[in-house]
Amino acid sequence: MENRVAPLEGACKNYEEDLVLYYYGESGAAERAAMEQHMAQCGRCRNFVDDLGRVLPKMAPQPELPQPFWDSYFRETMAKLDAHQARQSWWRGWFAPLNGWLMPAFGTMAVAALAIALVLDKSDMVSFIDTPAPSIPAEVLVDSNQLEFFKSLEILESLGTLEELDASKPEPKTSDIHNGRTAPAVA
Amino acid sequence: MESTQELGDEVLVTLCQQGQADCFEVLVRRYMGKAFHIAYNFTRNTETAKDLSQDAFLRAYSNIKRFDGRSSFYTWFYRIVVNLCLDHARRSGRVTWESLDKSAEEAGGQRQLVDTQYLPDQQAIAGEATRRANATLESMPNKQRTAFLLRNQEGLPIADIAKVMKTTEGTVRVYLHRAVAALRHSLVEFV
Repeated sequence: MENRVAPLEGACKNYEEDLVLYYYGESGAAERAAMEQHMAQCGRCRNFVDDLGRVLPKMAPQPELPQPFWDSYFRETMAKLDAHQARQSWWRGWFAPLNGWLMPAFGTMAVAALAIALVLDKSDMVSFIDTPAPSIPAEVLVDSNQLEFFKSLEILESLGTLEELDASKPEPKTSDIHNGRTAPAVA
Repeated sequence: MESTQELGDEVLVTLCQQGQADCFEVLVRRYMGKAFHIAYNFTRNTETAKDLSQDAFLRAYSNIKRFDGRSSFYTWFYRIVVNLCLDHARRSGRVTWESLDKSAEEAGGQRQLVDTQYLPDQQAIAGEATRRANATLESMPNKQRTAFLLRNQEGLPIADIAKVMKTTEGTVRVYLHRAVAALRHSLVEFV
């Protein structure tokens, strides 16, 4: 083979795709004859096919692996297959009762149970929606319970009036306090 | 009686489907080299290629009952290998080509794209050409690369590549031509 550095030359535009197929032996008999006829007259296309033959077989070379590699490869593959088979057997053991006609029956029952659950659940939701919600939320109720407190605030506002009333009232005697008697109620 | 080693793929597959798991061993022995090479072409890494091709055997074994015989076993199996490789390429991103350069160097330059028996500068050019071609192959769209690798590296006929890739022969021809054209363009500078 000619020792050229130039790797690939272009072929005639109309022939290039067919020449690639020709190189790979993928042309029909008639196409092959036509290519050979063309190449007999066209050095460019002839060089193109020669270059394909020079370059493409050397693309992406494979590593040359020794026999022990393949022995180990085979053993590993079979070990993985055994492990895989063992896992499958375990699962099949579990689901064995569901094989045959039981599987569709089980599926139908599961779907029916799901449908019933959904219907019941929906009816529960309707009853929940129909139930009147408490008119006053708990937080608000707590606030309403504090109403007395706010009323007492109104008393504080009239504190001045109370002080005046206290001032006009005579001081209770100590003995009265000890006897459990308090001041008469303010009218 | 005929040894299982001599049985055809289809017979072995039928026996596997009938529960004779040991027949799958024959298929493993028969296709382990091809499966590994395809995976290696996609990954350029020995360990990854080994794992992916072994995984392909596990998947083939798991799905052997679904194989309906409409295609040959090997196109069906190659499709599993290729799909695993493409999935791996998608997950892991770029392919590392350094190992290829290393293997080419280890082979004394015999695998370089141009013949470099005498001149050191020609060896440098050849090394660069090899790297460029490999980079082009790496950056190709997956379908072009798959068509190219299956035809150029594995020697599959276009009709079988079409079955592996689940496309038409015409489409594979286009992929193949585009791949070769891309490689040629990547090497034009070295003219």
